[in-house]
Amino acid sequence: MGDEGFKMEEKIISKQNLLNLCNDIIADGHDLIAPGKTEYGVVRDTSQIVLDTSSKPTKASYKTFVFPKAEPVLYYKRGKNDVVILDAEPEQKKTVIIGAKPCDTNSFNILSKVFNWDYKDDFFNYRVKNFIVIGMMCGFSDKYCFCTSVGSSPVSDKGSDLFLIPVDAENYAVRIVTDKGKEFIDKYSKYLTEGNPEKSKEVADKVKQPEVAFDSQQVHDWLSKNFEHPKWEGIGDMCLSCAQCAFVCPVCHCFDIVDEDYGYTEGRRMKNWDGCQFGHFTLHASGHNPRDIQGKRYRQRINHKFKYYVDKFGEILCTGCGRCSRGCAVSIDIKEIVADCKD
Amino acid sequence: MENIYKPYLAEIKEIIDETPDTKTFRLQIKDPEVAKNFNFKAGQFAEYGVFGDGESTFCIASSPTRPEMIECSFKVYGKVTQALRRLNEGDTIGFRGPYGNWFPLEEQKGKNVVFIAGGIGLAPVRCVIDNVLDWRKDYKDVTIIYGARSVGDLVYKYKLKEWKEMPDVKTVITVDPGGESDGWDGEVGFVPTIVEKIAPKAENTIAVICGPPVMIKFTMPVLKKLGFSDENIFTTLENRMKCGLGKCGRCNVGGVYVCKDGPVFNYAQLKELPDEF
Repeated sequence: MGDEGFKMEEKIISKQNLLNLCNDIIADGHDLIAPGKTEYGVVRDTSQIVLDTSSKPTKASYKTFVFPKAEPVLYYKRGKNDVVILDAEPEQKKTVIIGAKPCDTNSFNILSKVFNWDYKDDFFNYRVKNFIVIGMMCGFSDKYCFCTSVGSSPVSDKGSDLFLIPVDAENYAVRIVTDKGKEFIDKYSKYLTEGNPEKSKEVADKVKQPEVAFDSQQVHDWLSKNFEHPKWEGIGDMCLSCAQCAFVCPVCHCFDIVDEDYGYTEGRRMKNWDGCQFGHFTLHASGHNPRDIQGKRYRQRINHKFKYYVDKFGEILCTGCGRCSRGCAVSIDIKEIVADCKD
Repeated sequence: MENIYKPYLAEIKEIIDETPDTKTFRLQIKDPEVAKNFNFKAGQFAEYGVFGDGESTFCIASSPTRPEMIECSFKVYGKVTQALRRLNEGDTIGFRGPYGNWFPLEEQKGKNVVFIAGGIGLAPVRCVIDNVLDWRKDYKDVTIIYGARSVGDLVYKYKLKEWKEMPDVKTVITVDPGGESDGWDGEVGFVPTIVEKIAPKAENTIAVICGPPVMIKFTMPVLKKLGFSDENIFTTLENRMKCGLGKCGRCNVGGVYVCKDGPVFNYAQLKELPDEF
């Protein structure tokens, strides 16, 4: 994804041919993931696909398809004194996602930093390697959206291999963003005709952009100076510590490693999503907890996203999708909180 | 595919009961090829796992200069340590490691070394002590100050005896007031008080300190008073960890992952981090 120096090509595909393409992808034995009414899911039938630039972002991102909610990392069998470990491996299956929003498409690039900065997590890497991301311009914007505040936009093709822009009522422009995308779409060239990048640019330029809510550099600098600040406790008093914000987030990646026995002698070791908003996350067996109150945990969430990850990996750990705020039971709005990180 | 979460299998060769709630395992990695090539540095840690109960993080307590066995010591506190306690010699556990950074012993050659430990905090310090003692001629004065709540809570009694008998090592053992028993010939007093009494000189000296937070809290001002600079005081952190690989996010504090950027830090580095230990 994001191969530099690649000369951008553009094609046209009709809406009908896009559905034909989807049918072919399924017929070719690949997993096809598309947004449905509320969630991204694997589709067996193209009637399940909701491809509409004005649709609301799904409740959760599609990170679970490369970093599953729960996945076995090994299986074990216990003997009297001995143990046998059996390998677990992700299924090597080509997976295509179509109609991904720009606030989702860059998530793999951001996640890849932590999953590869030293030790390589091949459970993640193997899935990403087999993934084709077909992003689509976004025409939706509500009060929770803030992609433009974190370096993205509703027309960003960052992280997409192919990128769709509806140029008229019947046709999409297909921007070929990466070599991987080109190699993939070449197999389906019968559905494509030559495109006109000027026309798609004209459409993209007209898309309503969410207002920029904050300057991420200023937020970073403010956080550097305000680890101790009364606002954290205030937010902590509101927050339910339910961690839904982490689960719907395209780039939250904290996990737990848990053994699951199924029977007296065997079981599996799981890598399960976890969340830094849970009190048990940092709780020591001794009872000591470095982040013992919710205010400290919320402070960690914001600092990790807008300062620590930026310092360590050069990326903001947030795509501005607004899902965490849209889903919050107590109406905590991350955009407002971050925008308020100023003197 | 390389599976970074897959442990080696290790056999428990020997179990030592240190105190009623603390045990030491002497381990051998089962795969002879892996065992032969296994090496680490003083201060590194590992994930020790009981299949069915999960993994727990402890330092490697033995010295890399004595590679025959990998040793770890643990206090029975949570689910995994309770499962470990139930195991017997000859049983198999999972072992992932070595992980993290180490004490910069090579760079500190030619200096005096003061070790200060409290309770089970002696485990991560012990590997450094044995490492330094195996390279004894490379260091000047070696002082060990170790304390526990009571005589019964002292770990590694066999080691303490060995160190006390060494003519070129100053070993001071103390128990908290009220923790002494009949025939106790060591000191009585809290670790910070004993450090102040022994007053190791700070010039050309590094201090390695590990113990309960309250001990560290009161020993630090004593070391500062004695003239130790932040750069010359080293400690090892014990944040909760799961992966040990800088991925799962649990040990993230400020800009560091304790499992990757630590667990060994000097005090100048620690002062830069938020107070979340």
